[in-house]
Amino acid sequence: MSDFLSAYSIQSWLESCPQGYLENTEYGHRAGEREPALLVDNELLRHETIRATVQLVVGERCALAASSGLINAAPDEASKRFLATQTLDEARHVEIFTQRLYDLGIRKEDLESTIASVANPNLVRFAEILLEKVDRKDFVAGVVGQNIVLEGMAFSVFELLLAMNEGANPKFAHTLSGTIADERRHVGFGENRIGALIKAHPERKTDIERMQKEMSYYMLATFADAFRDNAAADEFKRFEQEAAGNGHHARFHGLDLSEAEPEEMERVLADTVLKDFKVRLNRIGIEYQTPVRP
Amino acid sequence: MMDPLELPVGTPESWLPRQRYHLDDDTGFDEVPRKYRKFYRKWRGADDALAPNEVLCPVCKVVIRSSRALRPGDRVYCMPCMSRLIVVRNERTGALEARVAY
Repeated sequence: MSDFLSAYSIQSWLESCPQGYLENTEYGHRAGEREPALLVDNELLRHETIRATVQLVVGERCALAASSGLINAAPDEASKRFLATQTLDEARHVEIFTQRLYDLGIRKEDLESTIASVANPNLVRFAEILLEKVDRKDFVAGVVGQNIVLEGMAFSVFELLLAMNEGANPKFAHTLSGTIADERRHVGFGENRIGALIKAHPERKTDIERMQKEMSYYMLATFADAFRDNAAADEFKRFEQEAAGNGHHARFHGLDLSEAEPEEMERVLADTVLKDFKVRLNRIGIEYQTPVRP
Repeated sequence: MMDPLELPVGTPESWLPRQRYHLDDDTGFDEVPRKYRKFYRKWRGADDALAPNEVLCPVCKVVIRSSRALRPGDRVYCMPCMSRLIVVRNERTGALEARVAY
């Protein structure tokens, strides 16, 4: 166990992250990169991009509160140090997505009111379920909720957003690449640390399975709100074709994103995340619970 | 070195010599310190065919590369997600896979 935990050092984090893939970046992207004019000059696209970015800020604020809150609940020093590095990762994510809102034209004095007005209530409920566990200093449930459910969702959502933006918006694509690299460490910690703890505390399984089912429902409801009746869907396709070129066909798990309808994207994203939850939870000895579909 | 074709039928795989691989220093993967980058590369999805010295990390979906052909029972380390893995053979597909060692 000591060998496994010894990898969770500040030194490893420094060498991989700030001295590695984040070196020479500015708010997560390359210096001088900007949001495409085709996006910021189109009021419909700008508005929908602000709405989507607010959801990222809400998710990352939840992750920041959860990872920092779990530090004092962690049963060993190595886990505390890992969660300290994760706390800084999450704070960075809050900052870079907030900076994106500023880049999209939100004034600093309007930040909180903008977030309050467009934050998805289902995503807020998803976060509340997790933070209730963290407030109770429930380390096992907190890490499953944070590092497997929330981070597992973020991993796939960021992969989808990366595929959508690689051709059309290099600035945002580079921002996402760094966050995906961070998520790899976070999901790894969730599986490796909890895989060992669940073996020691099998009595916790039922409660954790209930939490996963509930969080999964609110996650699916958030996806449904984001994809269904999206007035800007066709406009985004036009933007992507114009910005990335007509020959560009972004793909996500076999789906051609330039051809797919929003409902197809929602289905593929939801199926990808749920399948991933199932595999990850099974590996650590927790039985995946199928959520109600909204 | 013994020619593997001269070994008796049924010789365990672990007795056979392993093919060695030259690893390029830059695979474009920058998520670990520079000196370890040659041991990892990005996975290109379900169509990405893995070489005999490669295995996919099931936790973070990064391809781990070895300087020797991998075999069941080998232990590999995924530095990007800090998972310890054991190489196994999928009985259905015959392909090498990695399982997490908790």
